[in-house]
Amino acid sequence: MKRWWVAGVMAVAFLGVVAAGCSGKKKGSELEGGQGTGLSDESLTGGSLALAQSGRPGAADSGPLRDIYFDYDSFDLDDTSRQTLQENATWLKDHSDVRVEIEGHCDNRGTVEYNLALGAKRAAAAKNYLVALGISRDRMTTISYGEELPLCYEETEECWSRNRRVHFVVGGN
Amino acid sequence: MRRAIFTPAPRRRRRAALRGTLLAIVMAFPAAAQVRSTIFGPGVKRYPVAVSPLKEVAGGGGGGQFTRVLGRDLELSGLFRVIPSDTYLENAQTSGVTVESIDFANWSVLGALALVKGAAERRGDDLTIEARLFDVSQRKQLAGRRFRGGAADEARMANRFADEIIQFFTGERGPFDSQIAFLSTRGGRFKDVYVMSANGENVRRITNENTLNLSPAWTADGRGLVLTSYRARNPDLFSIALPRATWTKISSLRGLNLGGRWSPDGTRLAVTIEYDGNSEIALLNRDGALQRRLTDHWAVDVSPSWSPDGQHLAFCSDRSGAPQIYVMDAAGGGVRRVSTAGNYNTSPSWAPKGDRIAYASRIGGRFQIFTVKSDGTDVRQVTNNPGSNEDPSWSPDGRYMVFSSTRRGPSKLYLTDASGANQAELTEGNGSDSSPAWSGWLE
Repeated sequence: MKRWWVAGVMAVAFLGVVAAGCSGKKKGSELEGGQGTGLSDESLTGGSLALAQSGRPGAADSGPLRDIYFDYDSFDLDDTSRQTLQENATWLKDHSDVRVEIEGHCDNRGTVEYNLALGAKRAAAAKNYLVALGISRDRMTTISYGEELPLCYEETEECWSRNRRVHFVVGGN
Repeated sequence: MRRAIFTPAPRRRRRAALRGTLLAIVMAFPAAAQVRSTIFGPGVKRYPVAVSPLKEVAGGGGGGQFTRVLGRDLELSGLFRVIPSDTYLENAQTSGVTVESIDFANWSVLGALALVKGAAERRGDDLTIEARLFDVSQRKQLAGRRFRGGAADEARMANRFADEIIQFFTGERGPFDSQIAFLSTRGGRFKDVYVMSANGENVRRITNENTLNLSPAWTADGRGLVLTSYRARNPDLFSIALPRATWTKISSLRGLNLGGRWSPDGTRLAVTIEYDGNSEIALLNRDGALQRRLTDHWAVDVSPSWSPDGQHLAFCSDRSGAPQIYVMDAAGGGVRRVSTAGNYNTSPSWAPKGDRIAYASRIGGRFQIFTVKSDGTDVRQVTNNPGSNEDPSWSPDGRYMVFSSTRRGPSKLYLTDASGANQAELTEGNGSDSSPAWSGWLE
């Protein structure tokens, strides 16, 4: 694979871990009361669907792995996403017994079926990049939720951009 | 369970009505001079018809729902204008219901060109309705039916008679003796499956799942639905047998099992499945086993829709760089693009008649409904309305579509004829309604 390139990006990632806000994507500031960073209950017991079923809102960046974001109708990983995936890979290597479910999401423009397919591509892109970074394929599963589990509902680019995400759920099963 | 007493009128038979009550059509009256489809067309005004209250025989009630539903269907068809009943001059209980006994002057003075009159007889749970269609100026009977069934069948009798009237005037059976399945959040946070009559009435909840349910479609025989559900925590394909709403898993391949669409002959199920993140269209057997992969392309390929002869599939693909509508052979070859206008086209629905494909096209950030001939020519815009108009599904007669629209706020279902000139809101109330699927005729 592209080891030289991967090594270079990892070096940048260590330097750039604080600069993640350069593209304007926020960290999970909409977490509701009581949730901290690190291994929270939510991240262990289920992902976005389980949260919705129990009536709790989803949140970006809950758990130890941070979300990555996409342009409209795209599944390309930009530089920020690749940096985030580097950091996520580092954490996963430090916790080698942990499995992760990779969720693909979309904003609500476009049709339900197309967005389910697009979410699948986004999740697969993230997974494949983590595999390239050395994470075992067997530790990861992907699932697409399309536009069905948004974080927000406003018809604004700010909200849409938050929904165009891949979310990582770590768990023991 | 009621049994048919007489042989039904000769037409292609399907299976029992979904409610489990067999509706018997006993006798057809001979038709008089037939007025054909030259009356109707774009720009022609609606044909004025009066729908008289039915005479109640034996004092048992019945008939009110029949005339109300009949009037609603005739108005929804866009072909008729129903003259309001508060202008009627006659006492329905005492006036005649046959061509010899009707005083047609009482109706021509209201401007009616057509008239429906009849009688309802209800004994316990048994309901018999006799309805006749008359030409007011010629003073002739044009059509008539006698319906027998249970009291719960009254609305369906009206839907059938509306289709009969439409057939008489246009030469093609009307669409109203059918159902529409859809998703709604009216009952909770998650979308659940509901079924209603084609005229928007009689909404029944089918699922109560507290999980994601997507993309319902009818089985070829109309006895059930196929849909994608996350009830097992993965987007799997299930069938739901009606009316009991019993679930059966059809396909749970890893990743997407999306948008199952039965072939018209009921032997193949077109689905979107996933190969390492890439969506592809495939065919499943009746038992859910993978029969054949149809697309093999890095692009997103979703939303298969069968041609009525089962020889082709329309689908959505972004292989050109943005989502467009394509057609391919049912064996997978012969891919050709059919959407040429617009740069974002999705959700194809192939009409059961008339060889047109409906789809949603994004214009100015929102969607409008378009149709195109299956060879890609003759693009026509159907909606030009506020909000986003999506997910078209054709009526069994191929002249109407149901679709979702956010033109007035939360998504509701709308009915339109193929031209878009006659649009009507079909659903109302709380929540968001989406993903409609129009069944075939019930019998």
